[in-house]
Amino acid sequence: MYGWIWRHLPGNTWVKALISLVLVLAVVFVLFQYVFPWAEPLLPFNDVTVDQGMAAVR
Amino acid sequence: MTATETDEESHRGTPPPTPRRVRRTIASIVSVIGELLITAGLVLGLFVAYSLWWTNVLADREAHKQSDQVRQHWAASGPKGPGALDTKDGIGFLHVPAMDNGEVLVKKGTSSEVLNEGVAGYYTKPVKSALPQDKKGNFTLAAHRDGHGAKFHNIDKLKDGDPIVFETKDTWYVYKVFATLPETSKYNVDVLNKLPKESGKHKAGRYITLTTCTPVYTSTYRYIVWGELERTEKVDADRTPPEELR
Repeated sequence: MYGWIWRHLPGNTWVKALISLVLVLAVVFVLFQYVFPWAEPLLPFNDVTVDQGMAAVR
Repeated sequence: MTATETDEESHRGTPPPTPRRVRRTIASIVSVIGELLITAGLVLGLFVAYSLWWTNVLADREAHKQSDQVRQHWAASGPKGPGALDTKDGIGFLHVPAMDNGEVLVKKGTSSEVLNEGVAGYYTKPVKSALPQDKKGNFTLAAHRDGHGAKFHNIDKLKDGDPIVFETKDTWYVYKVFATLPETSKYNVDVLNKLPKESGKHKAGRYITLTTCTPVYTSTYRYIVWGELERTEKVDADRTPPEELR
């Protein structure tokens, strides 16, 4: 998979490495900005209040 | 090498798929699965970094901004009568020396939108919190244990007799811890009652209740700390803190 991506990137090794780095940073950005904030409330790690089991509708 | 060469030779002329091609296909499928697993591991690692570090960065930034707003607001409006509370920006600051985390802005509500700003919230439901200036009642607060500012991370450091000080625009409310409940069900809403019986009290008074999740990094149970108002002090012109905070 990654080998396939690497082979399809344009340019010589240095250009490929630079594009790879940019791609990795873009993925990390999307994860931190959109995916994790969406996923976090769905996971049972950070509920701090006592309630009557109505957490979903709060 | 020789093995593959003879392999090739012996199968020359036989129709595809040759065993060699089959083996290559299997190898590439396995390698894609392996790469996906490694990727999943890295994403989970990033999620830990996000939850325990990045949310703190964001929440602390937001909390500082809002705290500054409240302080400026207080300074600008000058001294007014008691109960001059602005519930929009936040009602005041919680100081708990034993938790060693500076001041925590307190705002209305305990929804995750509020708490994720790195503040503590007072309950509006399931049991409505009293406010510190009320004659009787229970001032009930919640904040994050980890991530999003982690304002109650050190709640387990609180021992009986430790001070909890709440600062409003014109009054210092000095509470003393008298009971803790290190583990209770998340459905135990009775801890928020006006008179929280589990704390061992039988008379209505002016109480404060801190709630957060426990054990750390998960939220299987809730950790509860109860305090009782010991005295109040008027805020002077220099906002000199009460002796507990000096």
